[in-house]
Amino acid sequence: MDLLLVFLSLLALSEITIADIRNKPGRGRGSMWWGIAKVGEPNNISPYSIEPSIHPTLRRKQRRLVRDNPGVLPAIVKGTNLAINECQHQFRNRRWNCSTRNFLKGKNLFGKIVDRGCRETAFLYAITSAAITHTIARACSEGTIDTCTCDYSHQTRSPKTNLQSVSVSGVRDWEWGGCSDNIGFGFKFSRDFVDTGERGRNLREKMNLHNNEAGRAHVQSEMRQECKCHGMSGSCTVKTCWMRLANFRVIGDNLKDRFDGASRVMVGNSVRSSNNINNGNKVINGDSNSININNNGHEIKTVNVPFNVISSNSIPRNSMKSKGRSNKKNHRYNFQLKPYIPDHKPPSIRDLVYLEPSPGFCEKNPRQGIQGTHGRQCNDTSIGVDGCDLMCCGRGYRTEEIIVTEKCACTFHWCCEVKCKNCRTKKIIHRCL
Amino acid sequence: MSGTILENLSGRKISILVAILLILQVACFLIGGIIAPQPDNHQVVLALACKDQLGKQNDTSVWYWTRGKGKCAGITQLDIEKDAVKMANQLVYIFQMPLPREGRVLDFSRWQQNLIGVLSVDIAFDKSIRQDVKEDLILDVRLAYRNKGDPEDKWTLHSHSLETRSLTCKFDKIEDEAMFTCEMMPLFELGALHHDYYLLNLRLPMDSDMGMNTNIGHLHDVELTAIYQNGGFTIVWLSLKSVFFPLIVAVMIWFWRRVHMLTRKPALLEYMIFSLGASLTFLNMPLEFLTLYIEMPYMLLLSDIRQGIFYSTLLSFWLVFAGEHMLIQDTGEKKTLRSYWRHLSAVVIGCLSLLIFDLCERGAQLKNPFSSIWASRIGTHFALAFIILGGISAGMYFIFLCAMVWKVFGNISMKRTSFTAMSQARRLHYEGIIYRFKFLMLATLSCAAVTIAAYIVGQISEGQFKWDEDIEVEIASAFLTGVYGMWNIYILTLLILYAPSHKQWPVEHSASNENIIAEEIEFSNLPSDNNPSEISSLTSFSRKTAFD
Repeated sequence: MDLLLVFLSLLALSEITIADIRNKPGRGRGSMWWGIAKVGEPNNISPYSIEPSIHPTLRRKQRRLVRDNPGVLPAIVKGTNLAINECQHQFRNRRWNCSTRNFLKGKNLFGKIVDRGCRETAFLYAITSAAITHTIARACSEGTIDTCTCDYSHQTRSPKTNLQSVSVSGVRDWEWGGCSDNIGFGFKFSRDFVDTGERGRNLREKMNLHNNEAGRAHVQSEMRQECKCHGMSGSCTVKTCWMRLANFRVIGDNLKDRFDGASRVMVGNSVRSSNNINNGNKVINGDSNSININNNGHEIKTVNVPFNVISSNSIPRNSMKSKGRSNKKNHRYNFQLKPYIPDHKPPSIRDLVYLEPSPGFCEKNPRQGIQGTHGRQCNDTSIGVDGCDLMCCGRGYRTEEIIVTEKCACTFHWCCEVKCKNCRTKKIIHRCL
Repeated sequence: MSGTILENLSGRKISILVAILLILQVACFLIGGIIAPQPDNHQVVLALACKDQLGKQNDTSVWYWTRGKGKCAGITQLDIEKDAVKMANQLVYIFQMPLPREGRVLDFSRWQQNLIGVLSVDIAFDKSIRQDVKEDLILDVRLAYRNKGDPEDKWTLHSHSLETRSLTCKFDKIEDEAMFTCEMMPLFELGALHHDYYLLNLRLPMDSDMGMNTNIGHLHDVELTAIYQNGGFTIVWLSLKSVFFPLIVAVMIWFWRRVHMLTRKPALLEYMIFSLGASLTFLNMPLEFLTLYIEMPYMLLLSDIRQGIFYSTLLSFWLVFAGEHMLIQDTGEKKTLRSYWRHLSAVVIGCLSLLIFDLCERGAQLKNPFSSIWASRIGTHFALAFIILGGISAGMYFIFLCAMVWKVFGNISMKRTSFTAMSQARRLHYEGIIYRFKFLMLATLSCAAVTIAAYIVGQISEGQFKWDEDIEVEIASAFLTGVYGMWNIYILTLLILYAPSHKQWPVEHSASNENIIAEEIEFSNLPSDNNPSEISSLTSFSRKTAFD
């Protein structure tokens, strides 16, 4: 199985020279892990072994990551479902409503739309990568993942620095200077796990990488700082600050805004872009959030400016353990995409990018994996895209009346009962023909 | 007649002493900035929602934990959302500290001294609410602990309380769902981090009749931030204390022996300096070593009191110091603390009100770590009253002090004009005294300025400051150790330089011999000369000039 995967990836490498890759099936190979969302209930997954049903959805490196970090699998399942829910929430009023398929059988969770490099795909990549970052960081806070790192950013400070055993130094660090925030681990894990399939060798993979990074950047930039004073008599002579993750809905909202203003990037500059890196030119990435300078391809010095928050708790963007690996890894992120229309600003790190215009989502088109808007609920008073005119693409709609039973007028008593009445309300809904 | 060492020390010796002390001072800053980690660190623990056992809600021997044998599996957010009443009165939010890291089960070390818990909640309110929310949140909180040797399901009750916290939430920009982000709430303060693992079980009792939590929406996320002192910082801090403690004690013994060698009784200023040394010694005493063996929940209160005693002695000393150098004192009468009662009352009132506040806050926490004076409305008014009283007395104090220092400097410059009438040697000598007096005033001012500046820098740039790739300076720690070292050094200087000198006046051999003899007669005629309680020749000089 593994051999086959290697062979397949080799095959994929040989394809890269072809510049125009539009509509080629299997473009979303790097996102096959999304399928994990549909694998059973998270509680049924034993944390130490990988069940055969999820085996095919994960790449070899992803399986290794899951094996090495017990407890991470339920978090990934949870994260993927979080992304799906958020996506469906954000797109509930649009023609494309982020629908997923129930039976995977080696197909992508979101269907064939992922094969196209359109806006919707860009959003999917960003939201899943953001959700993984978010959930892993939260799982560390819940204590369900044992292997979250304790790399205190100034490890050198602790008395014994050159300890061979990582875990011993971890405990020593904990006693000496405590552990770093969890978001660092979430960010790093998301890069390792989500970006596995994307080598950045062609434009589509670059687009995926960029959108994955954008998702993570949104998680990071939405963190808020909170401080507590606890000096003498509670005065502010001693103050402790920490970063708080935003609610995922806020991140979803931001990504939706970026979806509406996504930048189209050019096809065909992939080769030049990678040449740029190899030839050791200076590449400035995004809105100067990270500046990477490559000298003769040997030494890469990375200067990172955190996005919004400059504090002790901001994420070290290159917190990889070994230097050499870190260089190789960050190589992937050293690219700048060109806007399709040359007058436009190049996309910043938090912008979503896409390659081709979205298909129409009105009619069912199984070849492109489009379900159409037949039977969708719409709003007859709205003039927006959720209004029946636009949603149903002019086909008209039918109106139904349904009765909803809800619990209401609840009274509570401590300890510990709750009494409610049943209320019945009428609702009128419209559905597209 | 004898003066203090300050007047009789040559300029070279003083500069050597000052240089040594400055080096010591810089060392204190560097120890904090480079060796020590940041003073405190935190761990954010996210609550796991767990279903309560029916009928066992009020049983304090029932515990739920997230890791280890017999753990609670937890309910997902989705399951809670599906329930019509969001599982009201059925949920327990559990926090287990510390979190595991790098595949290891961590435990709290006693070096980490104390633990402060801060609660943050994200709440989904009813869709009709569209403005900011201010409600009272009623929490049933239980804290348990476990030690390393204990079985994994043996949790022992530490404290249990029903607490009220005011919940202030801001309406987020989210359009279609009323999600609120609420201000954090201080939850508990443990003065002693004596045990290895801690567990917090939190419930939100809802009751329609009593109006408990009925206007609170549905809790989405409950986050506990546990703040503890870093073990490394405690080690550095205690080492500093262990160095300064014997040093100050030794210098104090030396100082007191010198005072007693004199024929006269100790002067007020000498008493003040000695008590300053004593209060600093009390502060320096590395009592924290005991916390490694004994559970001392009163440590936070004790350290507040120790600091308070030191600062109040320091403030009183400044007043007396300025007063004793007033240069226009009525002669003969021996000064006591009583003559400063008006000025000192500001210090006493300020310190007392802060002490009462502290006793109410930290003292009550000894009994119940969840209690806070800020939690109730009356308590908040009470606390504010005492803090404002403290602030007013601080303001009064500074007005008094500034007025006195202003007067001293005014007198000094006025008396300078009468220098021309004196012999040159004597004039130079007096000028030297005034210069050294001013020098010490300058030292005091610069100490205060450095404290304030370091405090402001620490407030503006939290976290570490990077000089280059390898050297990081931990500003908060540098501020704490630096300022701590600075006041130690300041008092060390006072003890050394204001110790009585055994040197005699240098015999002058100038042409104006007659003049000196005349002045000596004049001096001996002064009543003060018969009174050996004079501390320095500066004050005797001042009396003489006042006599003129």
